[in-house]
Amino acid sequence: MGLQAIAFYVLAVVTVASAFGVTTARNPVHSVLFLILTFFTAAGLFVLLGAEFLAMLLVVVYVGAVAVLFLFVVMMLDVDFASLRAGFARYLPIGGAVAVFLLIEMILVSGAVAERGAAAHVKPLSGENISNTEAIGRVLYTDYLYDFQIAGLVLLVAMIGAIVLTLKHRPGIKRQTVADQTGRSVRGGLQVVQVKVGEGIAE
Amino acid sequence: MDLTSALQIALPEVILALGTLVLIVVGAFGGEKSTGLVGLGAGAVLVEAAAAACWGPMGQAFHGGFVADAAAQFSKVAIYLMSAVAIALGAPWLRRKRSAKFEYPLLVLLAATGMGVMVSAGDLISLYIGIELQSLALYVLAAFQRDDSRSSEAGLKYFVLGALSSGLLLYGASLIYGFAGSVRFADIAAAVHAGAGQGVIFGLVFLICGMAFKVSAAPFHMWTPDVYEGAPTPIVAFITAAPKLAAMVLFARALALGFPGATGQWQQVIVVIALISMAVGALAGLVQRNLKRLLAYSSILNIGYALMAMAAGTEGGMQAMLVFMVLYMIDVTGFFACLTALQRDGRPMERLEDFAGLVRVRPGLALAITALSLSLLGLPPFSGFWSKYYVFKAAIAGGLWPVAVFGLVASVPAAFYYLRILKTMWFDEPAGATDRTPGDASAIGMGAALFSFPLVLPALAALDPLATLAARAFGLA
Amino acid sequence: MTGLSEVSLGHYLAVAAVLFTIGVFGIFANRRNVIVILMSVELILLAVNINLVAFSAFLHQVAGQIFAMIVLTVAAAEAAVGLAILVTFFRNRGDISVDDAAQMKG
Repeated sequence: MGLQAIAFYVLAVVTVASAFGVTTARNPVHSVLFLILTFFTAAGLFVLLGAEFLAMLLVVVYVGAVAVLFLFVVMMLDVDFASLRAGFARYLPIGGAVAVFLLIEMILVSGAVAERGAAAHVKPLSGENISNTEAIGRVLYTDYLYDFQIAGLVLLVAMIGAIVLTLKHRPGIKRQTVADQTGRSVRGGLQVVQVKVGEGIAE
Repeated sequence: MDLTSALQIALPEVILALGTLVLIVVGAFGGEKSTGLVGLGAGAVLVEAAAAACWGPMGQAFHGGFVADAAAQFSKVAIYLMSAVAIALGAPWLRRKRSAKFEYPLLVLLAATGMGVMVSAGDLISLYIGIELQSLALYVLAAFQRDDSRSSEAGLKYFVLGALSSGLLLYGASLIYGFAGSVRFADIAAAVHAGAGQGVIFGLVFLICGMAFKVSAAPFHMWTPDVYEGAPTPIVAFITAAPKLAAMVLFARALALGFPGATGQWQQVIVVIALISMAVGALAGLVQRNLKRLLAYSSILNIGYALMAMAAGTEGGMQAMLVFMVLYMIDVTGFFACLTALQRDGRPMERLEDFAGLVRVRPGLALAITALSLSLLGLPPFSGFWSKYYVFKAAIAGGLWPVAVFGLVASVPAAFYYLRILKTMWFDEPAGATDRTPGDASAIGMGAALFSFPLVLPALAALDPLATLAARAFGLA
Repeated sequence: MTGLSEVSLGHYLAVAAVLFTIGVFGIFANRRNVIVILMSVELILLAVNINLVAFSAFLHQVAGQIFAMIVLTVAAAEAAVGLAILVTFFRNRGDISVDDAAQMKG
C-alpha cells in the first residue's frame, strides 16, 4: 500500500468520523470544531485528487469564514448556557485533539504530495502541462462566465438577506461621526471667558 | 460566440441584474424615504425585462448554459409580470404595516432573476444556481416580517427543508454528471440514450425528489402549509405563483431535454408523485379551518394536476402544463390579494369563520373570492375549468386515463372545501365589520376575478398558440 | 498512475455517500438544535463536492470542479441566510428548537 492509499484511508476515516461528531456532539461548539475538522480533512482528499485550488478554497472559505460564522452564532445565541459557560478548560481537550489531527493530516498530505506530487498522477486537464489553478482560471471567466456572475448575485442575495433580517437601527445610540469631529473648529468648541474673582460663572 | 451576442441573448437577465444593482445604490443612499422609488423602479425593470424576453433574439449562449427558446420566452414574460404584481401587492402592504423596506422589491427582483435563470437553464450548473438564487431570496422574503414570530418560523422551516431538498437535487446532479461525463442537458441526453445505467437512474430519482420539493408536490410538501400560514400574505401570493411556474418549466426542461432516452422511467416516478399530490391535496385540505393552509393544500392538488399533464410526456402535455400553470397562477394570486385586502381590527382575516357573511359586509371582495373559488374548483365557464380541461385532455391523449380518473375523483373533496368557503360567505351570519380595504390589493383581487371570467376567453385564444409554440421547444413528440 | 489506481473512484464516492448519509441523519436526529441542522446541510453539500471533484479528476475534466466551486459559493451564502433567519427566530422565540416550532400545525 503506497503513501497515497494510506493518506486516503486516514483522511477518509477522519472525515467520516468527524462528520459523525458534528451531528452527535452534545455541545454545538464541539459540533463546529468537528465541522472544521471535516472540512479540513476533505480539503486533504481534494489535494489527493489533484484539485489543489478547491482544497485551498475549502480551507479559506469554510474554515476561515463559514465555520467562524457558525461559531459566532453559537456564541451569540447562547442557547445551551449551562454547558457553554463551563469555559475554556472544557474545550481544551477536544480543541487539542482537533489540532493534533489537523497537524498529522497536514504532514501526511504534504508527504503524499512531496513524494510523487498528487497532481502529477492526474493527467493535466486540458492536455497541456498546466496547473489545476490555471486550468480553472482558463474556463471560469470564459466558458462559465455566466454561472460565475449568477453566483455573484447569490452572494448579493445573502448579503441583502442577512442585513434586512438582522440589522436593527436603534435610536438614541451615540455614534462616532468622524466628519463632525474633524470639522470642529476653535470657534465652535472653545469659549474664552473672563471670570471675575469670587463670582464664578452662572449660565 | 462572442460576448456581445451572448449578452444580447441573455438580455432579460442582464437588465434585471443591472437594474437591481442600480436600485440597491438608490436604496442605500436614499434610505427608507426611497422605498417607493425603488419599488417603482423595480416594477419598471421587470416590465422592461419582460419586453426584452418577448422580443429578444433566441439561441444558446455561454456554451449551452443559457437557452433562450420559446418555452423560456413564454414563461419569462409570465414570471416577470407576476413578480411586478407581487411588488404592487407587497410594497403598499408593508407600508401599511409600517415595515416598508426598500429591500423588498430588490429581493423580488433577485428572485425573478433566479427564475429567469431556471427557465433558461441548459446545464446542471445553471439549473442549480438558478434554483438557489430564487430560493435564497424566497427564504428571506418568507421571514421578512422579522418581528413576527410566525413569519420567522415560516422562514426557518422553509429554509431547512429547502436546503435539504437542494442537497438531494445536487447529489442527484453530481451522480448524473459523473455517469454522463458532462453537465449539459444535450450531452446527458446523448449519454443516456447510449444506455441509461443504474447510476443515472439513481441520480435522476434524486433530482426529481429535489425538484418535487421545489414545486411542493407530495410527499415532499411538508413545508407548504406552514410557510403559507406563517409568511406574510402578499409574499405568499408571490411564493405560490411565479416560482412554481419556473420550477415546473425547469422540471420539464431537465426531464425532456436531459432524459428523452429514459422517458419511461421518469414518467413512472412523476405519475406516482402526481397521484400522491392529488390525494394529499384533496383530503388534507378538508380539515383545514385556516384559509391560507387550505390554499396550500389546494396548491399541492393543483401541482398534482400539472404533474399529471407533464407525465404524459408529450408536446400536448407540456402545452397543457404551461396553460394550466399560467391560469392557476392568476387565480391564486387574486385569491391571496383578496386575503391581503381583508382585515378586521388590524388583524388579518385567515380563519374560515372570519369570512362568515362577508357578502353583506364587503360585497365586491366577496364576489371576487366567489369567482376565484369557483374557478379553482373547476366550474365552467371560469378559467379553472379551461385549465383542467387542458390537463385532462392531455393526460388522456397520453394514455394516462387511470390517472385522469383519479384526478377527477380527487376534485370531489376539493370541491367540497371550496364550496364551504362560499357557504360561509353567503349564508352565515356576518362576523362583524371589516377594516377599510386598501385599493391596491382589492384591485388586484378583482382584476384576477374578472380574468377568471370573462377575460379568460380572449386570453385563452392568445395563450393557446403561444403555449403550443413554447411546448415545441421541449422537443417531444 | 499509481496514486489513482490504488485508490479508485469508488472509494471517493463511498466517502461522499457516507458523508451524505450522515448529513441527512443529522437533519433528522437534531430536531432540537437548528444550528446542527445547518451544519448537517453543509455536510451534505461537502459530500456533493467530493463527488464532483472525484468525477472531475477521474474524467480529466474541469467542469466538475467549476460546479464544485459554485456549490461552495452557494453553500456559504446558504449558511449566511440560514443563520440570519435563525437569529430572527431566536429573537422572537428565545430558543432554537424546531421541535417546539409548532405554533402552526395541521
